[in-house]
Amino acid sequence: MTRTNLNRFGTLIAFVLLCIGFSIAAPAAFASPANVFNLVQQMATLAIVATAATLVMTISEFDLSVGFSASLAAVICFVLFGQGYDVWLAVPAALLVGIVGGAANGVLVARFGIPSFVATLALGTILSGFAFGLSGGQSLFQSVPDGFKSLARGDVFGIPVLGFWIVAVLGVAAFVLTQTEFGRRLRAIGGNAQAARLAGLPIVRDVIVTFAIAGGLSALAGLLLASRLGSVQHTMGEPLLLPAYAAVFIGTTASPTGAPTVAGTLLGVAITGVMVNGMTIVGVEPFVQKIMTGVIILVAVLLRRVGRAR
Amino acid sequence: MLELSGISRRFGATHALEDVSLALSEGEVLGLVGPNGAGKSTLIKIIAGADRPDAGEIRIDGTPVQFHSAHDAYAAGIRVIHQDAPLVPGFDTVENCYLGRAYPRRFGRIDRKAMRRAIAEVAADIAPELDLDLPVMFLPPAERQFVRLLRAVADKGRLLILDEPTAALPAEDAERFYDVLRRTRERGTSIILVSHRLDEIADFCGRAVVIRDGRIVARFVESEVKPESMIAAMGGSASERSTRATDTSAPKIIEIDGVTAGDLTRPAALDVHAGEVIALYGLAGSGRSSLLNAIWGAIPWVGKMRLAGADYAPRSPRQAIARGVSCVPADRHRSGLFVSEDLVFNKTLPLLSGYRRLRGLPVPDVKAEQAEFVVAAERVSLSYGDPKQLARTLSGGNQQKLIFARWANRHSKVMLLDEPTEGVDVMAKATIKDIIRAIAADGNAVLVSTSDRDEALELGDRIAVFRQGGIVRVFTRAEASAEALSAAAQSREAA
Repeated sequence: MTRTNLNRFGTLIAFVLLCIGFSIAAPAAFASPANVFNLVQQMATLAIVATAATLVMTISEFDLSVGFSASLAAVICFVLFGQGYDVWLAVPAALLVGIVGGAANGVLVARFGIPSFVATLALGTILSGFAFGLSGGQSLFQSVPDGFKSLARGDVFGIPVLGFWIVAVLGVAAFVLTQTEFGRRLRAIGGNAQAARLAGLPIVRDVIVTFAIAGGLSALAGLLLASRLGSVQHTMGEPLLLPAYAAVFIGTTASPTGAPTVAGTLLGVAITGVMVNGMTIVGVEPFVQKIMTGVIILVAVLLRRVGRAR
Repeated sequence: MLELSGISRRFGATHALEDVSLALSEGEVLGLVGPNGAGKSTLIKIIAGADRPDAGEIRIDGTPVQFHSAHDAYAAGIRVIHQDAPLVPGFDTVENCYLGRAYPRRFGRIDRKAMRRAIAEVAADIAPELDLDLPVMFLPPAERQFVRLLRAVADKGRLLILDEPTAALPAEDAERFYDVLRRTRERGTSIILVSHRLDEIADFCGRAVVIRDGRIVARFVESEVKPESMIAAMGGSASERSTRATDTSAPKIIEIDGVTAGDLTRPAALDVHAGEVIALYGLAGSGRSSLLNAIWGAIPWVGKMRLAGADYAPRSPRQAIARGVSCVPADRHRSGLFVSEDLVFNKTLPLLSGYRRLRGLPVPDVKAEQAEFVVAAERVSLSYGDPKQLARTLSGGNQQKLIFARWANRHSKVMLLDEPTEGVDVMAKATIKDIIRAIAADGNAVLVSTSDRDEALELGDRIAVFRQGGIVRVFTRAEASAEALSAAAQSREAA
């Protein structure tokens, strides 16, 4: 195996070793079907938000509003339920808010040339303000329609429903990025925006669409989280932001050119998910878990750097 | 001061360098010439301590040395100057010259006066006209090159290695640059000059070596240093000036009337016929590139344009492509290539929607793309190993051909080329010129923007000379000469 292959598959090997390690340390608890089921459920929302981050990072931008969009979508959905609206209205409305918020990010970045870091931070803060206002700052637990509960709870043939969401969302995203003209254009914009413009690509439109998709996916993640938990808080999406980007960065270590890929991101989500789950089972204290997760991210990216410098 | 003997370097099975020996004394200038991929960069890296030879010895002032890093070479007085080496735009010349050096101190504070004194002393010697106190972002490109040179010399540089120092400079500025370089040499500084502009090597270098396939294949001294002999040693043949006359009965493809855009501040008028090559010659910023960018729809413009008899008002490159215009932009690294993507990706990107397997479904047919890539690559004589290799692995000339290949499978009406042979070796240059003539022979109207006077003369059926934001004169082939073009393009009288 050549060195580059070792680099590429190193992350995957690390993941497998991690799983084996936890299976040996806690065979009954970690490798049990119940825990795997649980693990998939825990990973789903993060996987979807991380996919949004992957798309935006493919065009070499950042979207810091993903967590805020997720919260706002969940709040809007629950507020509409409270007013007596049906699932078929509340869910699309919440998704639409996410898409519109994302598109607004895209307009700020592509049309007005505001650095995405600033634009999405500002817009995300505005979204979080709306979420705060609409929820009144309180947890919302009204009676939720059964149709909404079934979005993220339960299983089909023993496979958690959220597992299907992961497959569907990440599968479509991977197909779009690798097989379609749109995906090609996104890679071009991320690789060299100036050259992409001079090659006649519709950059402004593509950037806006990308941010809109990211906003829509974040909103979807927020709704799935709300469905699983059965309650909503106006800050519930915020903790997704950093792990999502951590997953994307870990994932880039598994790609040949260092560009983000959906498969890599899934690997990143799995690694962080297994770390937290496994360490909790083995009884590692939460603060140590955080430290370990940070160290893992650094080690993954450092190994990649060292490998590339050679 | 520098001696290399028997330097060899291998990468896997390929010999990047084999048994290279050189000597250079103080105040001497050596030209280093060779096709892309011949081993020049490897040799430079070894001299500069960035790479280590597998065999051979480096001696400085007769003492064998071993460079373990670029630091060691720097300490020995070796300075590599890249044409686009970064300067801090907001810093003035003095501050830029002190980047990475220890600042002189006085009572614990940085002694700005001592810094300025030290730099001014050297500057007075080599580049007296340079304004030391202006942030370098306000300096013209030629003078930024002076700053790079000054920085190297001021910090005890004894051997300067210049890689394509004039690639981005028009002929007139290049002459000023060589004046500065000449004065630098007179201070006893040794210089190794790498350039694809062989006439400059011939003018400036007392000695030249030609590298091919990792070996020194020829050495020339004094009067033997001539472009023809160097080209012959590289295995090419000198290109000839075309003698074709413009066919004015051919239909006008593009008509430009009163167009202003960007640097082009005075309304320009120009008609280009089918099958004609028009060279746009002038200094950087004279408006020639702006005209191309306007036709490409890449920058806002005002005025009137017609294409094949119909009104033409492109507001984006996308619209220009749809009307049958093609473009190879200047500066392929910034504006053309996707270096981390493969060759097929780079080739098909602008016309990607032409490769759908199912109409209406935006999913490219990878096999069709690859098949067309192979055809296009052949047409532009691209040499490559695998269509899936990354664009960054190609040499400069092949990267440029790759951009040409984008348009090779379709019938364009207008071909826009901005500095098409910049940073490309002589052989690739000749191929690219052949390609350009073939594009014109196909019935295209071709516009070539260039800062290279000889290239303008060689390619242009007519030559439009730009000065200070406008076309000053359009020469026919019969009227054009090197002197006449330079005289028309000079902007000094107003400066």
